[in-house]
Amino acid sequence: MMASYIIIADITTLWHSAWPAAVTMLALASAFALALLIASEKLRVTVDPKIDQIHKALPNLDCGACGFPGCSQYAKAVLNDTNLLGKCSPGGPKTAQAIAQILSLQISESGPVRRPIVHCRAHTDDKTYYCEYQGIESCTAANALPNAQACKFGCLGYGDCVLACKFDALHIIDGLAIVDYSKCTGCATCVKACPRNLIEMVPFAHENMLTVACSNKEIGKVTRQMCAVGCIACKLCTKQSDLFAIEDNLARLDYVNYTPSEQTETAMQKCPTGVILHRGPSAPVPRPAKKPEPAKA
Amino acid sequence: MDTLTTLLLAFISIVLINNLVFTKFLGICPYLGVSGRIDMAFGMGLAVTFVVTLAGTLTFLLDHLILIPMNLEVTRYVCYILVIAGAVQLVEMYLRKFFPTLYDSFGIFLPLITTNCAILGLCLFINLWQIDNLLEAVVLSFGAGIGFTIAICIMAGIRENLDLADVPDALKGAPITLITAGLLSMAFMGFTGMIK
Repeated sequence: MMASYIIIADITTLWHSAWPAAVTMLALASAFALALLIASEKLRVTVDPKIDQIHKALPNLDCGACGFPGCSQYAKAVLNDTNLLGKCSPGGPKTAQAIAQILSLQISESGPVRRPIVHCRAHTDDKTYYCEYQGIESCTAANALPNAQACKFGCLGYGDCVLACKFDALHIIDGLAIVDYSKCTGCATCVKACPRNLIEMVPFAHENMLTVACSNKEIGKVTRQMCAVGCIACKLCTKQSDLFAIEDNLARLDYVNYTPSEQTETAMQKCPTGVILHRGPSAPVPRPAKKPEPAKA
Repeated sequence: MDTLTTLLLAFISIVLINNLVFTKFLGICPYLGVSGRIDMAFGMGLAVTFVVTLAGTLTFLLDHLILIPMNLEVTRYVCYILVIAGAVQLVEMYLRKFFPTLYDSFGIFLPLITTNCAILGLCLFINLWQIDNLLEAVVLSFGAGIGFTIAICIMAGIRENLDLADVPDALKGAPITLITAGLLSMAFMGFTGMIK
C-alpha cells in the first residue's frame, strides 16, 4: 500500500512542477507563432504561379546549360523573356513544348538535337611525348605548361571534361575523351571545360555522325611526326565529297548538311590515317591503332 | 577592468581562443559541407554571424527575463531551439521581402542554420560562462559568428588548393579534409594562453 502512495505523491509533485513549464512553453510557442503569422502576412511576397509550373516542367538537374545557375533561375528568366525558350538542352524539345504550353505559346519545330563530338582520336599509344608530365592532373594546367605531349592541338586526357560532365557521359579511355552518347544530354558543359576547344556541338541529324577527329593544324609532315592518327591534309576526302574542305591543313566536314552517302563512306575508307570516322550511340568505338614499334638501336 | 577592456577581451577570446569550430568542435557540419568554394563559405559565414548575434541576444533576454525568474531553467534547451528557429524564420521572411538579392545569394544556407549546433552551443555557453551583462552577451554572440566565418573561410581557401594537390589515393576526399581540419585546430591551439 505504501508504494502506491509514493507514486501518487510523485505524480502530484510532477503535476505541480510541470504545469508552469508547460504554460510557459505554450505561451512562448504561441507568441512566436503569432509573430510569425503576422510577419508572413505583412512580409508576403507574391510569386507568379507560372514560375512554379515552369520549374516543375524542367528536368531539375541544375546543370547550367541554359546559362543560369539553376533551374529555378531559368524558370524566372524564361517567364520574362520568351526568347530563352528552348535553352534547356537536357529537357530538349519536350520541355520547350511543355513550357510553351504554360506560357500559351506556339513553338516551331526545332532542328536536330545537338551533341558534342571530340575532334581528336589519338589514344596514348598514338601520341608522341617529349617527356613525362608529372604536374597537376588537369588539362588546363597541362595546357598552360610547355607541352610534354608533342601535339599542341589534341586531347590531353586528364579529364577536365569528365569532371565537368554531370551525367557521366564522358570518359577517358586510353588517354582520349570518349562521349557516351546514350547518357549525353547535350548540355555543352564539356565544350567550355576543354582548354584546347576540342569539343564541338554539332547537330546530330542522323544516329551516327561522320566526324573529322583531329584538330592538328600543322602541315602533314609535322603532324605525322607527332601523331599516328592525325590529319595530314592529303585532300583525298575532298576529292570524294563536296562536304569536305581543307582549312588550315585540316579536313573540315560540313556537319549541318551532312547526309550519309556513298561518297562520304568512301572518303572515310580512303582516309589514310583514319581520322574520318563515325561517332554516335551505335558507332563502334575504334580500337587504339598501335604505333609500329620503334626500331631498337 | 573597465567595460571596454572586458568586451574586447571577450571578443578576442571567442574569435581566436575559444573559437567554436576549432576548440569546441561545434558547427562541423557546415564547416565541412559548405567549404568547397570560398565565396559560398563567406556567404555561409555571414548568414551564421547574423543569426547567431540575433539568437544569442534573444536567448540571453529570454533566460534572464522569463526562465530564471520563473525557475524554469530545465526547459532551456527547448526554449532556445524555439527562439533560434523562430528568429531564422523571421529573418528569412524579412530578407525575402526587402533584400531579395541577399536572399537569393544565401539560398539554402539560411534555413539550414536553424539546426546549426554552433548557434545553440553559443547560447548555452553564454549561460554556462555565467555572463550576466547584455552587452557582453551581444559581443560574444557576434564574435562567435566572426570566428565561424574565419574558420570556414580558411578551410575553403585550403580546400580550393587541395583540389589541385597530388593527394594519395587513399586520402582523397573526406579523409584529407578531416586531417586538414585537425591540423587547423592544432594551429589554433597556439592562441591558448594569449589572455591570462
